[in-house]
Amino acid sequence: MLDRGSPDRPSTASHCLADVERLLFVEAQHLDDKTWETWADLYLDDAHYWVPSWLDEYELVADPDTQVSYIYHTSRAQLRERIGRIQSRKSITALPLPRTLHVISNIVLTERDELSVDARSSWTTHVFDPRTRRQHLHFGTYEHRLVRNADSYRIARKKIVIMNDCIPTVVDFYSI
Amino acid sequence: MNIHHPRERLIDDRPSDKAFHVSRDAFTDPDVFELEMTRVFEATWSFVGLETQIPRPHDYITTFIGRQPVLLMRDGEGRIGCFLNTCRHRATMVCPFKRGRQKFHVCRYHGWAYDSAGRNTAVTDKADGQYPAGFDQADRNLLPVARLESYRGLIFASLSADVPSLYDYLDDARTFIDLVADQSPVGQLEFVPGDITYTFDANWKLQFENGLDYYHFNSTHSSYVDILAQRARSGDATGFTTELADEVEGQGSFNFRNGHAVNWSIKKQVRYGRALASDPAGLAEVRSRVGDIRLKWMLRQRNLTIFPNLQIIDISSAQLRTWRPLAVDKTEMTSHCLAPVGESAEARRFRIRAYEDFFNPSGLATSDDNVMYEFCQTGYAARAGHTLGHLRGLDRGQGTRGDHARELGIAPIDDAFGGSGFGGETNFHPGYREWRRLLEGGAMEAADA
Repeated sequence: MLDRGSPDRPSTASHCLADVERLLFVEAQHLDDKTWETWADLYLDDAHYWVPSWLDEYELVADPDTQVSYIYHTSRAQLRERIGRIQSRKSITALPLPRTLHVISNIVLTERDELSVDARSSWTTHVFDPRTRRQHLHFGTYEHRLVRNADSYRIARKKIVIMNDCIPTVVDFYSI
Repeated sequence: MNIHHPRERLIDDRPSDKAFHVSRDAFTDPDVFELEMTRVFEATWSFVGLETQIPRPHDYITTFIGRQPVLLMRDGEGRIGCFLNTCRHRATMVCPFKRGRQKFHVCRYHGWAYDSAGRNTAVTDKADGQYPAGFDQADRNLLPVARLESYRGLIFASLSADVPSLYDYLDDARTFIDLVADQSPVGQLEFVPGDITYTFDANWKLQFENGLDYYHFNSTHSSYVDILAQRARSGDATGFTTELADEVEGQGSFNFRNGHAVNWSIKKQVRYGRALASDPAGLAEVRSRVGDIRLKWMLRQRNLTIFPNLQIIDISSAQLRTWRPLAVDKTEMTSHCLAPVGESAEARRFRIRAYEDFFNPSGLATSDDNVMYEFCQTGYAARAGHTLGHLRGLDRGQGTRGDHARELGIAPIDDAFGGSGFGGETNFHPGYREWRRLLEGGAMEAADA
């Protein structure tokens, strides 16, 4: 039998797959439900939120200080800035807002220490724009670094790789 | 294709009546789009890349001129060539990669090979081919573009030979390329690595106009303006610049020959920093080399459009963007973070963060533009008569200030200057006039060749 982990069994010595999965799924739900303030609360104050671009067909950007990313934030305040822009209803990218649906799978944990774990997963986001009736799909991988405090995880880092990187019109935190 | 009297039908340009209108058909008619491909994009100078993208012998990149795929590469002696990316045998795209380094490009279909100078070096099993007489003497090399020239490391190609020299084509827009290139201690520009490609479902001319459109900034980007104000209150003033006390605040533009134009602004208080000003030592080096006047202009917002599909935006960061029209209502954009070779690591980091902040489909400003183009494209389908979108500045309310051009040593064919909320629209006119000239057959011979 393949070991896929299970809710009642720790997937690494210190971290249970079900706990990590719950955090990832809750994050996705907040994004889709547009409860973005609560979404941002999942991040630590100094969290890194990184969406690298591609150097060519095969290689991803590796160094945000010498190469271009779609988004590279190093604090939760920058996420809140993005949220505020959308919620102000002054940005027409939000008029109307698209409906999104995140699906996350293939979660693999790598333990860092008792309090910290890395989770790599696969994601797809379906995006439907009620204005144009167009829909598109983004897909890629997430790399979360989670830190446990008491009985809950917070996000210290999240790297989002977009595999289909010819972007239709707009991409923002809610659609990836 | 049947466009009768396109001068009257597509553009109503009557300077003596202070009238300038662009027909809605220019944005929505597939027949106009077909003509644009053959008579504009595939018949005049197009930006194809930077010399620094292919620094070594045998380096190459692939791109498009209009709809036609091209391969830009250096040969073994370091000479740059640009060739249609199509095998002479059966039309196959010879090079399928975005960039790389190869001495030879071998067509994957039947194995015909070309060297980095575009010469056909092998025809698979030629001896067994029972080819007709004369095959050996026939030109089997990759087909070079008609014209290929560079200015300050920016490489342009034309599929038509019937174009002026690049130097003359760029006219005094050259000075505004210099103002970017001379920010480098070695006078060279490079792209910061990282590819950004996006599309919008709208006509390419909406991007052409937007890059010259100062008027939209405070309304389209009001959410970004709020963010800038909030950040300014929070106190980080890295890279902020000031103007001398005797400068008159305002917004202006220069028009050049062959469709090019630039808009710029003079602001006593700018609410964003600049990469160039974020590094005092680098700034002093540039000042010593270019002098106070050029440096002053380097530190001003400048949006340059080189007709038909190149824009260089120099604000908090610098962006070089090009577009490839895919259909009358669909455009593919390629965006690069443009940087002076040799700037400090601090300035480079500042430049990259500022670029990501503003530009691209993920940026806090460009994303609004992209959606706005789609709003316009939808609106252009309405048969609501001509628009009133190209008239600001036609009456020259505040007149022009020739001293702006004089201190730069340029002679634009027209200029405009007004208050901070001016946002003149006459700087779209040269592009539309060149567009009409080409559509009317200025390059018909080349297109038909």
